[in-house]
Amino acid sequence: MFPSNSLNDDRDLVGRARRGDREAFTQLIVQYQVPLYNMALRMVGKPDDAADIAQEAFLRAWEKIRTLREAPFKSWLFQIAANLCYDHFRRGRRYGVMPDEEITSNVVGLGIATPDPQERAEANERTRLVRDCIQALDHDMRIAIVLRDVNGMAYEEIAAVLRVPLGTVKSRIARARAQVQEQLQRHPDFFPTTEDAHAE
Amino acid sequence: MPSEPRTPAEPTLEELSAYLDHELDSAAEARVADHVAGCDECRARLDGLRETAHAIRALPMETPPRRFTIPEQRRRGWRWAPAGWIGSAAVALLLIAVGIQNLHLPAGPTATSGSFSTNSGGLANAPATRSEKGAVPPLSAPSPFTQQFDAQSAGAATNAATVVDSSNSARRLVLDTDKTSYPANGRMRVTVQLIGSPSTSLQSADQGLTLTLVRNGQGVALRPVGVESFNGTPIFGGWYDLASFPLSPPLAGDYRLQATWLIPDGSGRVLQVSVPVRIAG
Ligand SMILES: [Zn+2]
Repeated sequence: MFPSNSLNDDRDLVGRARRGDREAFTQLIVQYQVPLYNMALRMVGKPDDAADIAQEAFLRAWEKIRTLREAPFKSWLFQIAANLCYDHFRRGRRYGVMPDEEITSNVVGLGIATPDPQERAEANERTRLVRDCIQALDHDMRIAIVLRDVNGMAYEEIAAVLRVPLGTVKSRIARARAQVQEQLQRHPDFFPTTEDAHAE
Repeated sequence: MPSEPRTPAEPTLEELSAYLDHELDSAAEARVADHVAGCDECRARLDGLRETAHAIRALPMETPPRRFTIPEQRRRGWRWAPAGWIGSAAVALLLIAVGIQNLHLPAGPTATSGSFSTNSGGLANAPATRSEKGAVPPLSAPSPFTQQFDAQSAGAATNAATVVDSSNSARRLVLDTDKTSYPANGRMRVTVQLIGSPSTSLQSADQGLTLTLVRNGQGVALRPVGVESFNGTPIFGGWYDLASFPLSPPLAGDYRLQATWLIPDGSGRVLQVSVPVRIAG
């Protein structure tokens, strides 16, 4: 049903995870951590928030995996994360694990954040521009285009993640692309060849 | 006349976009292809959408700043953590669990190893790495010529320590700095070798490596940059500008530089090693 080579692997791992096999679930984490994190990152923008959402999505998936029946693990996992992104927008909520009390009482201010100037400098202007255009989309369009163009999901899979009809997926992706394109075209250097290519 | 319809229907935005994704049924796909072939305007619209989609697909896939974990047992009562808290708490947990008393000793290099997977429940429940985004980045990566340094040639470095995994003698964590004492505005060169790592990744988050400069239980997370995987040994570190460290005053004093390696094989085993570092007044 879904064009995923890893579906059979998933099924085996999911079966084991449902029986409480942490090792199997850890393999599922390894398999999906990068796409899931990047989905959240393109949705919420901040790496720390995205990591919190991914962590929380894995925790919830682990807790509820026994309730997973027919749906493919991947769309179910992304559905959990998508809901957490919407929660994040609604309430500005962060997800995280609070360590045990007796341990936290010993914790003193450790690790003070500083920006990473090198990374900032290297952040390619083009990347930043595209990222900002995606951030400017409304949430429904944003998640559709992220699942399509960041995660490479098929429309049917996106419909399953978002629990909306295929036609809605199609229209959100199209409108999102049109809007991003319009924003990008305001920067004359962004599509340098476009005009030349169609001059004749 | 461009306005004269060459095909029955001008494709909609949605059709053009879905056409790019090969998400139209074959009849609609053929119709759009046919139309676009004869209509400059729609071809330009299609090209614009295609370039936009490519621009989005060209966004880099970024590495998560920390490792994602699940608790040993199904969780009891998790609470929301305040913003900015999670990563540093996780590092602190590691430091405390592995024996923070070591950190107060101004003596020579120390090393510990242990498994957190069975009997320290609180720790196993916590994500075992922290956000690298909050850490101090190096000014530059360590020079590759340090790559062949290992425990046997420890004399070559002024300040080095090694710990051997008690369950796998081929696995060692080696930490060294170029000096033991630095002026407050000095630069410290740090090199960490993960000998016998099950992973060749040069992403410190993938390797489960954290570096911390600690004094009296307070410290600064250093962001280790991977430079080399020589004979399968990932090497991390960099040059760090001490003046840029957000250390609490007085800056001068005796610190320990500590490397913590949560071995990335799912075993929960941790190797930890530290060397003394003095910042002169
Ligand atoms: Zn046309």
